[in-house]
Amino acid sequence: MKNIKRALRMHRIFVTQELKRMMEYKGDFIVGIIGFLLGQFFNIMFLWIIFSQIPSLMGWTLNQIVFIYGFSLIPKGLDHLLFDNLWSIGHFTVAKGDFDKYLTRPIDTLFHVMVEKLQIDALGELLMGIALICVTLPQLAIEWGIVKILLALLVIPFATLIYTGIKIATAAIAFWTKRSGNITYMFYMVNDFAKYPSTIYNRGVRAIITYVIPFAFTAFYPANYILTGENPWFNIGLTVLISLIIMVIGICIWNIGIKAYESAGS
Amino acid sequence: MIYVENLKKEFKKSIKEPGLKGSIKSFFKPDNEIITAVDDISFHVPRGEVLGFIGPNGAGKSTVIKMLTGILTPTSGRCEINGQIPYKNRKNYVKEIGVVFGQRTQLWWDLALRETYTVLKEIYEVDDVQYKKRMAFLNEVLELDSFITSPVRTLSLGQRMRADIAASLLHSPKVLFLDEPTIGLDVVVKDNIRKAIKAINQNENTTVILTTHDLQDVENLCSRIVMIDKGRKVFDGDISELKKKFGQSREMKFVPVDFNVVESLNYAKTFNLSDDDVQVESDGHKVNVRFNSDKVSVEKMLNYTLSEIHVKDISVSDADIEEIIKGIYRSEVEV
Ligand SMILES: Nc1ncnc2c1ncn2[C@@H]1O[C@H](COP(=O)(O)OP(=O)(O)O)[C@@H](O)[C@H]1O
Ligand SMILES: [Mg+2]
Repeated sequence: MKNIKRALRMHRIFVTQELKRMMEYKGDFIVGIIGFLLGQFFNIMFLWIIFSQIPSLMGWTLNQIVFIYGFSLIPKGLDHLLFDNLWSIGHFTVAKGDFDKYLTRPIDTLFHVMVEKLQIDALGELLMGIALICVTLPQLAIEWGIVKILLALLVIPFATLIYTGIKIATAAIAFWTKRSGNITYMFYMVNDFAKYPSTIYNRGVRAIITYVIPFAFTAFYPANYILTGENPWFNIGLTVLISLIIMVIGICIWNIGIKAYESAGS
Repeated sequence: MIYVENLKKEFKKSIKEPGLKGSIKSFFKPDNEIITAVDDISFHVPRGEVLGFIGPNGAGKSTVIKMLTGILTPTSGRCEINGQIPYKNRKNYVKEIGVVFGQRTQLWWDLALRETYTVLKEIYEVDDVQYKKRMAFLNEVLELDSFITSPVRTLSLGQRMRADIAASLLHSPKVLFLDEPTIGLDVVVKDNIRKAIKAINQNENTTVILTTHDLQDVENLCSRIVMIDKGRKVFDGDISELKKKFGQSREMKFVPVDFNVVESLNYAKTFNLSDDDVQVESDGHKVNVRFNSDKVSVEKMLNYTLSEIHVKDISVSDADIEEIIKGIYRSEVEV
């Protein structure tokens, strides 16, 4: 209990500092968000153009697909907002020996790295996701019950942790290889598939994004449950289970990796 | 306080052939070369001592510090500080130590300096009363006041170094590790930092281990020196011992009346000395002769010089510690 209180306090301190820092770099922040929104705009235009030619894609309507797309941005945006600092570990922190400083401080290194920075650019993703959900929701005739509302809210943090866990695991590889940014990036390429209904892909791709790099659980499966109410055990239950497994694997790799960390000669 | 026994650290360096083929080959069958950065080093430091770690570039000084601070796990051997093993129970251990690497900062680049201390206050769980007292003290010895509201990225190197040292002392550590704390600084700032280190050591009986290139640091601060070269310990003792051990080295300086006749002097041949025992340097104005007074007496050297040429001025002195250490590196004396 004392540990949790302390962790929350540390988190608050870092967030406060990050917000102060951001106020200094307002320009960067605004440019980042505008860039992101433009990119999203073109994605949606693209979907819209395709759907103006065909009324439905393998049984999915435009509204459903946009809903899934919007939902996919929420866990992705949350992870991006809160834990983006993990990216830098594999890109340069370990290679340059800058990881030393985390090891000389009396708090858990992973916790320290995760809460140290806020990536405010991610607000663009989150706002976009919320907007797409809000626009499509009234037209989707979803049956809402108290269980569904609770499950829909519960699944979001777990879907977020799938991203975070994969980032932890791939960043930690840098403790052995010095750099692992490319590996993290490779995994992330796959996540674009998760923005669309997995059933439109062939079996191979579907198996990969379900069982190998399970990004389908960050978006399609939970969204599918919300849309159809089908298979809560698979769509929601497995999302929770998989996210916990990935986090445990990530944390293990991290903790073993620290022992292999070699710093850098100067 | 600090016990180090047979400490050893090896690094694997993969040798990669150039090009894509090399990359692929080294991925599947890495060709590793093993570098022994620290080779069987032992020493013991009592509480309150200031120990200077010296040695040429790449000797293994930073690697020793990284093992003592829990950053690196030793390949073999052990170290124990304050009854704790650094790389086991790391979180608990680091509460009692302060660490500064002169070459990099532990401060948050974009924060105002004052803010980075408030973050560290939380990390080290320093209470409010203690924090106030501590900041007042650190302000006094390190003179942080004039830049404490500036963002860290705008500080000069000297200011940043003082700020980093203050950061390492915020939680009143029992042991302070300083890796090159004066590197790249001008004389005034160096002096300022030395005074601060001395003050901390004297006021709080903090044990200090510092590495340096600057022998002035050693002469001013350290009660004891450990010298390492190529990962091995080559000397352990105080400065007077170092001078005694290697200090037969003397320096004779003279200004000749006529430079052309200097060539006629041949100390090596006259006294049958090896190249290590006598070196002659000249800057076109003064002549500098370093020699080993165990092999040839000061009197003989003076007599010979004065009998061969006319001089305007001549003097003989102990070689300073810098010269002694250069001499040791040059000949790689094994002790
Ligand atoms: N992280 C590392 N990986 C590989 N080799 C290293 C690493 N750190 C240091 N070395 C090597 O170990 C030797 C000692 O380095 P170091 O301890 O930094 O020396 P010093 O601090 O005395 O200049 C050097 O040969 C250096 O290249
Ligand atoms: Mg060094």
